[in-house]
Amino acid sequence: MKNSTPPFVAHSFRTTEGNKTGSWRFLRPRYDEKTAPCAAACPAGEDIARIEMLTSQGLFKEAWETILMENPLPAVCGRVCLRPCESRCNRREFDEAIAIRAIERFLADTASRDELKPSLERFASRKQRIAVVGAGPSGLAAAFFLSRLGYGCDLFESAPEPGGVLRYGIPSYRLPAAILAAEIEQVAGSGFRLYCEKPVTKALFEQIGNDYDAVFLGCGRSRSVGLLIEGEEPGEVEDGFEFLRRINRGESPAFSNAQVAIIGGGNTAVDAARTVLRLGGKPVLIYRRRREDMPAFEEEISMALEEGVRLLELWTPLRMERKEGRYLLTLQQMRAFDTAPGQKSRVEPAEPRSTMELSVIHILKAVGLEAAEEWQNPPENSEKILRLSDSVLVRSPSIVIHGGDLASRIRSVSHAVASGKEAAIALDILFQKGPDEVLPGLESCRVGNGPALSLEMYMRGPRCARNPHVVVFDEINRDHFQFAARLVQPRLLAEERSRGFAEIDLRISAGLAMKEAERCFNCGLCNQCDNCRLYCPDLAVVRQTDSSARSIDYDYCKGCGICVVECPRNAMSLEKESAPRAQR
Amino acid sequence: MQLELPDRDYMFPGHVACPGCGAAVAMRFLLKALGEKTVMVIPACCWSIIAGAYPQSTLKIPVLHTAFETGGAVASGVRAALDMRGDTQTTVVAWAGDGGTFDIGFQALSGAVERNEDFIYVCYDNEAYMNTGIQRSSSTPYGAWTTTTPGRDWKKMRKKNIVEALVAHRIPYAATASIAYPEDLFRKVAKAKAIKGARFLHIFASCPTGWRIPSEISVKIARMAVQTNIFPLYEVEDGLRYTINFFPKGYLVKEYFRLQGRFKHLSEQDLDQIQTMVEEDWKLLRHKAGMS
Repeated sequence: MKNSTPPFVAHSFRTTEGNKTGSWRFLRPRYDEKTAPCAAACPAGEDIARIEMLTSQGLFKEAWETILMENPLPAVCGRVCLRPCESRCNRREFDEAIAIRAIERFLADTASRDELKPSLERFASRKQRIAVVGAGPSGLAAAFFLSRLGYGCDLFESAPEPGGVLRYGIPSYRLPAAILAAEIEQVAGSGFRLYCEKPVTKALFEQIGNDYDAVFLGCGRSRSVGLLIEGEEPGEVEDGFEFLRRINRGESPAFSNAQVAIIGGGNTAVDAARTVLRLGGKPVLIYRRRREDMPAFEEEISMALEEGVRLLELWTPLRMERKEGRYLLTLQQMRAFDTAPGQKSRVEPAEPRSTMELSVIHILKAVGLEAAEEWQNPPENSEKILRLSDSVLVRSPSIVIHGGDLASRIRSVSHAVASGKEAAIALDILFQKGPDEVLPGLESCRVGNGPALSLEMYMRGPRCARNPHVVVFDEINRDHFQFAARLVQPRLLAEERSRGFAEIDLRISAGLAMKEAERCFNCGLCNQCDNCRLYCPDLAVVRQTDSSARSIDYDYCKGCGICVVECPRNAMSLEKESAPRAQR
Repeated sequence: MQLELPDRDYMFPGHVACPGCGAAVAMRFLLKALGEKTVMVIPACCWSIIAGAYPQSTLKIPVLHTAFETGGAVASGVRAALDMRGDTQTTVVAWAGDGGTFDIGFQALSGAVERNEDFIYVCYDNEAYMNTGIQRSSSTPYGAWTTTTPGRDWKKMRKKNIVEALVAHRIPYAATASIAYPEDLFRKVAKAKAIKGARFLHIFASCPTGWRIPSEISVKIARMAVQTNIFPLYEVEDGLRYTINFFPKGYLVKEYFRLQGRFKHLSEQDLDQIQTMVEEDWKLLRHKAGMS
């Protein structure tokens, strides 16, 4: 046959789009961003998973602004924070925690180097004016957050320069003065006025209580707890904090290779010892308990020992005598008991009694600090007093909110920031909605139902849409992650460190910071990895053309739930279908 | 972190695969790599249904639905017809299930690859005759329940090693792939597309309905098959050169078996025996790849 017609074959001419297979669904996947454990652990409630996500994408300014949303002091906290975030990082159970603090420092330093100006959301001006006493971390934070909430703020500081414990209590090898000054200048850009060398006495405090609508008190601890060693004249032994303050003001006493005793085991003691070493002395750190009981950061202790600080653990001073312009310290050996792991041991004099003598040219005591003046302490519980997480609100006779070290649960820089933020939010609720709304109002902006507060949530930002559920390790789909070693912080060598006060931790490059941020699981947050769309058998996950967001086309979604399981970071949820089924 | 795959899809939504169908995911990935200049031959299998009842089609490429045993033969014929028209750009693909590949279509497939016909034969393997009601095939693994191996009569024969059967024909390219490893799958399809002659891809495609698993773990279970060495990812060039693409960390097979209803009757001893069989197969594969 020539020119034969082809055999008849049934030929489809329609797509399957008319089949609304969504009607089969009895489970419903949806996007459901949750709370990362690091953010819930951060006293300042920083949106850490998002900060890491933005950093990994090279969006350093946005990442820095995300920190500033919740914490005005990233260059400081990026250096001296206790890192509660890293100890809760889900990645710890996989390989190692993300170096969150190092990334925070990198972002702050980069913003400062590039002279970036943050664009941060703020409320319209309010009529109330607020006085802040003390330009330490809590006072700076309170003034920063109050300014952003629309209040006029005056900040009073007794010292010649702002910063409080940051300026005078932390040696510059951990926190250089120039870095601190630049950060405070940045913070002051939020609009408050700063008055230095303006000490607030009890009389002045009562006066500003009348002049302003409210007062924030962030005085901190600066007076040494007066424990005398036998044979010591009152005021004869210098306090470690006082000594650090002297050095930070520019003094540099020479110790010319002589022994200096430092009594105590906290960060102040270790800082004082390392400072003595840098001034040419031979520091001997004397602590009555064991090394593992020392409240100082373990990393700081080991660096101090590397540098040449001598540690006498389980020794306590018995008495001191003056001898030819030196001091003779007699130490008593102690014995630890009740040594349960993870707990501070108790000590008693060792049997048989054993003592040693130590000849030193100077003695420093760092055994604790208290408020400089009694009125600075928050009052004991009574009516009209509201004890909050990190601050105490007093409404009578005038409105005073106590914050900082004297009111926080834990004494640390980030808790001081938390305290300033809590006070600012509490005052705003008090002024705008009344005293009964303070507690419920604070509850509504907690991060993951933890103690930390989020200003972004208080200002009804996008973070409010997050589920407070804190993502746990088993909710991460580890199949989508590979092992990667944690960033190794570059440091000066021990011999370089002991020669001067240069900052020990060196800068990291943008490449290293991005690589480290990429390790982050971004627990609970969508980072647009596209797995949900890629693995969908029904092509029911659609990417918006105008943004990178995704949505589910419930006309076709059969509710198999693959997207929810293949989401590496638990940013989706699968629920029973409750709404009436789609029309077939 | 983000997987590197092209954005474009050659499928419409509204197809009628079961929720969580691994074969639907496999088709999406395959077509992303092949593109629109593709003619597909589908012998009887789940996809005969999934692609849509007449007059619908869920694929944006031409498809020929053919009889069960004819995948290899029809694909040979389509290739010959295109060659006569001078079309050398279009890729011809046979897309068959394990029944149409391991059992019923094996003769046509073997004949076609022996002649080194120029097309890609893809077997998406869900390890039984799923759309007719879960009957065992020669691809059903040792230990599995099906409706024809019920109760105590669970399947006691090993799964046929189809890749080795094809490799024995000394074809230019044969490889395994999994829906849980999309980049590996994409790379293998793109590689196969560039080669002339008979090419064979064995894609592991999970089946929530037949395997008695929750649909949401469909991709996860396919990944576990690779992680436990039950379904190793490898490729063989010219029937000789073996490359293993993925070295698992050594998960135990029982983790994979415990999640599936089709294996729930197996005892610890049975699982231990299966572990031994899997290790034996893995050792043999490593040996072929010159790694023993």
